[in-house]
Amino acid sequence: MIEIKNLTKYYGTGEARFKVLDGISVRIEAGESIVLLGASGSGKSTFLNVISGLETLDEGSVAYDGKRLETMSEKELTAFRRDHTAFIFQQYYLLPHLNVEKNVKMGADLDHNKDFLPLLEAVGLAEKRKKFPAELSGGEQQRVAIARALAKHPKVLFLDEPTGALDEKTGRLVLDYILQLQAKQGFTMIMVTHNANIAETADRILRMNSGKIVSDTLNPRKKTAYEIGW
Amino acid sequence: MIVGIKDSLKLFGISVMVCCAVTVCNLFLNFDLDLRAIACFVENMEALAFYDALRMTTKVVCGVTGACLAATTVVMLVFYIKHYIDRHAREIGILKALGYSDLKIAKGFSVFGLNIFLGCLLGYLLSLLLMPMFYEKQNVGNFLPNLSIKIHWLLFLPLVLLPALAFGAIAVGYSLRKLNQSCVNLLKGIEKVKGKNRAGKDRADFVSEMRSSVLRSRKVLVFFIFFSSFIFSDTILMSVSMRDIASDMMGIMIFLIGVVLAFTTLYIAVSSVIRSNQKSVAMMRVFGYDAAACKRAVLDGYRPASYLGFAVGAVYQHAMLRIMVEVVFAGVEGVPEYEFFGERGPFRKLTEATTLYFPTKTANPWPPN
Repeated sequence: MIEIKNLTKYYGTGEARFKVLDGISVRIEAGESIVLLGASGSGKSTFLNVISGLETLDEGSVAYDGKRLETMSEKELTAFRRDHTAFIFQQYYLLPHLNVEKNVKMGADLDHNKDFLPLLEAVGLAEKRKKFPAELSGGEQQRVAIARALAKHPKVLFLDEPTGALDEKTGRLVLDYILQLQAKQGFTMIMVTHNANIAETADRILRMNSGKIVSDTLNPRKKTAYEIGW
Repeated sequence: MIVGIKDSLKLFGISVMVCCAVTVCNLFLNFDLDLRAIACFVENMEALAFYDALRMTTKVVCGVTGACLAATTVVMLVFYIKHYIDRHAREIGILKALGYSDLKIAKGFSVFGLNIFLGCLLGYLLSLLLMPMFYEKQNVGNFLPNLSIKIHWLLFLPLVLLPALAFGAIAVGYSLRKLNQSCVNLLKGIEKVKGKNRAGKDRADFVSEMRSSVLRSRKVLVFFIFFSSFIFSDTILMSVSMRDIASDMMGIMIFLIGVVLAFTTLYIAVSSVIRSNQKSVAMMRVFGYDAAACKRAVLDGYRPASYLGFAVGAVYQHAMLRIMVEVVFAGVEGVPEYEFFGERGPFRKLTEATTLYFPTKTANPWPPN
């Protein structure tokens, strides 16, 4: 369970200082799939970065099963990320000089997972495991990023616009892989998107505006990646 | 234009390197020209031996320093430009897409010639400042009473102007070659993975995979790391030996050049490795790899190259000094013996250098006084 209380974050200093996250409080249960929906500049990516321990917070608290992130040292935060979280970004950020298999190994090694090839099969890339990122399409690269993230068996998966750089067909395919794996493995999933259609695939939708959560709604009927509009 | 003065200033290390080279070369070349002018005044045998040895030293020092530093500067400049183009691929891609020709973009790289010019100019001025002291130390015991300083301004041309022009041209030529790639690839930031880089073995863990990949993708840095430790070991040992074989001044000069060159090379190489792997390291940190693991992945692969550099530097220094003593100064009386394991050998000197113990001059000083 993730408990976020009065989370506040500022950017800039002096007169240029502005509040990017404004006293957010929310509770996320284990295994939930959550979509953070909002326009560009609403603070959703910053929120994701802060609750995942990538950025520090200025006020409030973020606690994972009672363990508070803001009290952790850099070393403890690294260990926390290693043991609990994984990330998928819009720009994939694969390591260009390592092939698909070795990119996935990056995540797998952190959990001493030697049996990560089924994951490559699950995302449909088993045959391309010796290819390099530059030799793959955008959708394939994002699927490598999914396999890399899930190979470490995270308790919480953070996704920042995972389909933002993909066309509709590839975007649906990638989203479908993510949703299927989440349903199968049961990890908590927090996804940032500006696409309201994608929000329909989550258990719960948090809408953000000007650094605040303006609505928190449960989704009574989760849709698949192929049922939503694009 | 994409390359500005600010980018050029980042090549501070290269400026320092050429500054050292020009300081040494101008001191010795000016000295050599003045020595030539007094050749007819050297009469007695002792003075003649001293004169010959001085001229020989001048040639060796100028040749080794000039050639070594010029070659290193070219390699570093080329490496910096390659790295610069890789890092600014998108901006360059946009310029090309807008219709800028390769030549027009490449011309911007001529600004790197300015670094060389400033370094050379500073070195030249520094040598003029050091010249009185240098002459005094070289002409120990006033063996050559007719020797006086005459500034040979003509040396300004080959030591300052020509290097600046040549390096500017090298920068433009090399960048022109590097810019000859598809505009789309530049815009997308697609890095070519060469065939050789692909043939990596499967290793037990990710950090080893990463270490091996970093090494394969930046092979030229192996040379730089090797070179910096080679230069460090070579010049430190040589500077200690020079105190005995030549003079204190030579020893200090070689020591300073060695330290500056080694640390400049090391700084450029290490910062390049880190910069070029910044994104990979960031992702490793995001995934929970600690700083030690990132260091092992990115830097540890170069460790054997540095050890090898130290070893080869020591052996090379020994060989150079033996050649100097047994070939260059063959027939010159009073040159001290030099043995690898002996009093003036590299092993003894390495121990002295690492313990910061600089011995006072031993018996049988040379040149005789």
